[in-house]
Amino acid sequence: MAVASAWHAGVLIVIVALLFPLFWVAVTSLRPANELYSTSPIPWPMSTENYRDALFRFPLRMMLLNTVIMAVGATVLQLAVAIGAAYAVVRFRPRWTGALLLLAGAAVFIPPQALIIPQFLAATHLGWRNSYLGLIVPQLAACGLPILLLREYLAAIPASLIEASIVDGARPAQTLRLVVLPLLRPALAAVSILVFINTWNEYLWPTLIAPQANRTTIQAGLQLLGNQEGPTSGALLAAAMITTLPVLAIYAFASRRITNAFLQSGIK
Amino acid sequence: MTNAVRPSEPAAPGRTLIPAPARANPATTAVAAVSGGIKLRSVRKSYGSTLAADLPALDIPAGSFTVLVGPSGCGKSTLLRMIAGLETPEAGQIHIDGRDVTTAGPGERGVAIVFQDFALYPHMTVARNVGFGLTLEAKHDRRNGLSRAEIQRRVGDMCDLLGLGDKLARKPRELSGGERQRVALARALVRRKPVLLLDEPLSNLDAGRRAPARAELIRLHREVAGTFVLVTHDQAEALSLGTRVVVLNAGRLEQVGTPEEIWRRPANLFVARFLGSPAMNILPVSREADSGDQRRLQGWRPADAVAVDAAGPLPARDDPGQVFEGVVDVAEFVGDRRVAHCVNDHGTWSVEFPAATPVTVGQRLRVLVPAESLHQFDAQTGVRL
Repeated sequence: MAVASAWHAGVLIVIVALLFPLFWVAVTSLRPANELYSTSPIPWPMSTENYRDALFRFPLRMMLLNTVIMAVGATVLQLAVAIGAAYAVVRFRPRWTGALLLLAGAAVFIPPQALIIPQFLAATHLGWRNSYLGLIVPQLAACGLPILLLREYLAAIPASLIEASIVDGARPAQTLRLVVLPLLRPALAAVSILVFINTWNEYLWPTLIAPQANRTTIQAGLQLLGNQEGPTSGALLAAAMITTLPVLAIYAFASRRITNAFLQSGIK
Repeated sequence: MTNAVRPSEPAAPGRTLIPAPARANPATTAVAAVSGGIKLRSVRKSYGSTLAADLPALDIPAGSFTVLVGPSGCGKSTLLRMIAGLETPEAGQIHIDGRDVTTAGPGERGVAIVFQDFALYPHMTVARNVGFGLTLEAKHDRRNGLSRAEIQRRVGDMCDLLGLGDKLARKPRELSGGERQRVALARALVRRKPVLLLDEPLSNLDAGRRAPARAELIRLHREVAGTFVLVTHDQAEALSLGTRVVVLNAGRLEQVGTPEEIWRRPANLFVARFLGSPAMNILPVSREADSGDQRRLQGWRPADAVAVDAAGPLPARDDPGQVFEGVVDVAEFVGDRRVAHCVNDHGTWSVEFPAATPVTVGQRLRVLVPAESLHQFDAQTGVRL
């Protein structure tokens, strides 16, 4: 009993420590400008002034749109590559399977900072600065994890199902489309969510490749606006809330799927 | 020889009990001329240092129900998968209906397959599972492919034939094991390929479903008139299903023949021991006259003893055959019969006799085996003499 209570108390402390800043941002973002530094935990009188400020006086909506396009684009691209790689490995059992998986594993462990400079140079040479191409394409370097996850899922599909479709006369692409992908749907959902959140939270890369306020993502944009004589602290806090909400919403609805994605794949 | 298991049913159950097809059967007209003859020449395959197949020549006649049988790891599944095109032989050729298909893909060989786990597409209904191959054919060849209505009709007919008429809209997970097996059969048969390959199709069924499923397979073979090639490790299943049985061991052919041939005249010790339950007794020849020249082994089936007696005189015969003596070590009661496992100076042997005959452990037993039921084998090579 005592051990359990101590454990619960510890967990509670951690939760509070984690949630308090978020809570304070939320509360403060709802205060009117003259109450911004109030220490009351209840935002009263309440005001949506900061949100209106953030959304309409600065290019926040453009940044949001950019972020959505980048996150969706990178997710679609990464998944397309990962599905292709994982399927090829399982369906054709090439001799270099081990090497490919090792490479994918290595890609997971390379810190993204180590890739920043070569990626930046390459993207600049291609004229991709301040463009969606620049935001999206280099993120493909992060598709190691989706490859590993999807391969585990694919390998769990009985080989006889794929063989049955081959004997039934299916071409490789038809086996993929008609048999494999429908069976992979839960895995695809989980992996997409994972990649989407990772990309959504990307900060360093957009800061470098898209330094222009109306071309960048919201993560980099907040920093950009904070540096300039721009919005008030209140508006920045409101913008931070707007940035966080989609991720929070996804976690709230899909946390079970995400944990399952890792548990069922055998990768932890 | 002491690995006596419970005797299974006699060699050909169900052949006289074949259930009549439930409805008039439009699929009977499926294959006009019987085709699907398979020839294998010098086919070799190994996995690392394990030999999976080394077959100088094997012919599977068109229209036969050929059963590949052998202990696990004997290469029978590999052989089936090579015929299907799911494995490539290292050497040799495979011909189907006179065409060299050694390098052809599985979809272009004229074969259909029923997998051991049935491999039904879990996300498709029964109707879509069965129609999958035909739908693909239609997509690939719009000119000669079937229309959607024709596919639907053939799927419906085949499912009716297999008693799945009311299950068309179900998903595989909503079906029983027997129903899944029949869906797998329907999916393979609906394409009217000359060769149907079956990889242990009965092993995933409950024991009670197996006997009717065997009868159903025999009936289907008669009705669709193609070549069936079935893999099993169960010798009783091989004898009851096959019109031809291929016994394999460690990647090599041991014997090919009709079930009667391989039962009556096993070509070697391996086949003799592999068939039958309890297995054939194998004992060194004890007659003084034979001890001089060569070492020989003598075999007889436990059910072939014509007389069993505790001590009294055995019936006199023109050809006396041979008398075996021993002490009962284990006595089994198997319903209509008893099986006694006996020990003597030369080894162990078993005998089957009517259940009414009493027998007790420790009792001395003498049996008479007629000469025509004795099999002679070379002790060195194992070959039948």
